Amino acid sequence: MSAQERRPEEDGRDFADAMWSIPSYLLAGMAVYGGIGWLLDRWLDMSAFFPIGIVLGLVLAGYLAYRKFSR
Amino acid sequence: MSALTAPAPPQFQAPTPDELFNLPPIIPGVEWFTKPVLLAVLSAILVIGVTWAAFGNPKVVPRGVQNVVEYGYMFVRDQVARPFLGKDADRWMGLLLSLFFLVLVWNLSGVIPLAQFPVASHIAFPAVLAISIYVLKIYLGVKHQGGIGYFKNMMFPPGLPKFIYVLLAPIEFLSNMIIAPFTHAVRLFANMFAGHMLLAFFSMVGFWFLFEQLTPLGAPVGIIGVVMTIIFTAFEMFIQFLQAFLFAMLAAMYIGGALHPDH
Amino acid sequence: MSVLAEVSGNVTAIGYGLAAIGPGIGVGIIFGQGVQAIARQPEAYGLIRQNMLLGFVLTEALALLGLVAPFIFAGI
Repeated sequence: MSAQERRPEEDGRDFADAMWSIPSYLLAGMAVYGGIGWLLDRWLDMSAFFPIGIVLGLVLAGYLAYRKFSR
Repeated sequence: MSALTAPAPPQFQAPTPDELFNLPPIIPGVEWFTKPVLLAVLSAILVIGVTWAAFGNPKVVPRGVQNVVEYGYMFVRDQVARPFLGKDADRWMGLLLSLFFLVLVWNLSGVIPLAQFPVASHIAFPAVLAISIYVLKIYLGVKHQGGIGYFKNMMFPPGLPKFIYVLLAPIEFLSNMIIAPFTHAVRLFANMFAGHMLLAFFSMVGFWFLFEQLTPLGAPVGIIGVVMTIIFTAFEMFIQFLQAFLFAMLAAMYIGGALHPDH
Repeated sequence: MSVLAEVSGNVTAIGYGLAAIGPGIGVGIIFGQGVQAIARQPEAYGLIRQNMLLGFVLTEALALLGLVAPFIFAGI
């Protein structure tokens, strides 16, 4: 929260950390919820859950990355 | 007529990944001993030799090869180790420096004449490095944060509403345990693979249109190919250095994350 | 009717190539403007960084959506 008492190299490290982690979070979110949706589709013989799962995973992973790194 | 190319029978064939990367063994009969293996071994010997020559008998006032390698050491220490490891930087410099130099020489062999094959464009080589970093990361994490504490710190970052942890913990787990090492290896591999394909394609264009099939219409295309080859060789050297730097930087980041729980 | 030019190989790769143009430009704009903003007003670093992250997350999500779009439409 307090930007004044942090050292600049700490900021740089955090920022680089965030930049490298965000794509992998988004991919993981898509993989988890898209995978669940795909399995649901296979089970119920439908085709709607896979896209829903992908979008849900993206939203959740984006929320996680935003909350985690914008402290 | 099904294509736009010239009607002459010998047509320009873009190089395929199979002929570029699936190289025959150097000694017939020894299946595993191919060009990338030879280059990898030579690079390792080169890195060991150069660092030995530089730091085997270090002087207070550096001269010759020690001067050059110390410059590389300073770069790795200030740009890679210190930002991510803080006060532990000096303990891990041995690993990070050898990682950086090895990957750099592997990559640079893609533009060195006669070698001209980036070792890392076979995914086995970066995969081995990434897996060893991954094992080291988990070992250090469990050692410094405890078996349960490591996974708790990883999967439940503080400062989020309670109920949403159920939804987010699998994302954290997958991203840290599977996607991170995968992208660590694939980033290096894909850059080297694509760069080698690009260089091979443009030099093939130049060679084909200027030497094999010299026609008034084809000559400008060949000149463009030669110019693009020169430009992309310079660009590739930059990318190769950048990827070696990023590989070492991500390794330092993973080690730093395992040593200290989420700040 | 003779064919003038044809595309062989996987068409979805072209689709992803097209889908990557927009996010590529977007990420460039976000970081370019973000770095410029930090250079102009270093004391607003925290706020700028937060908004850069949000923009990056949203743009990157679009790029990854383009990556999986072929799989989605193959299922329907």
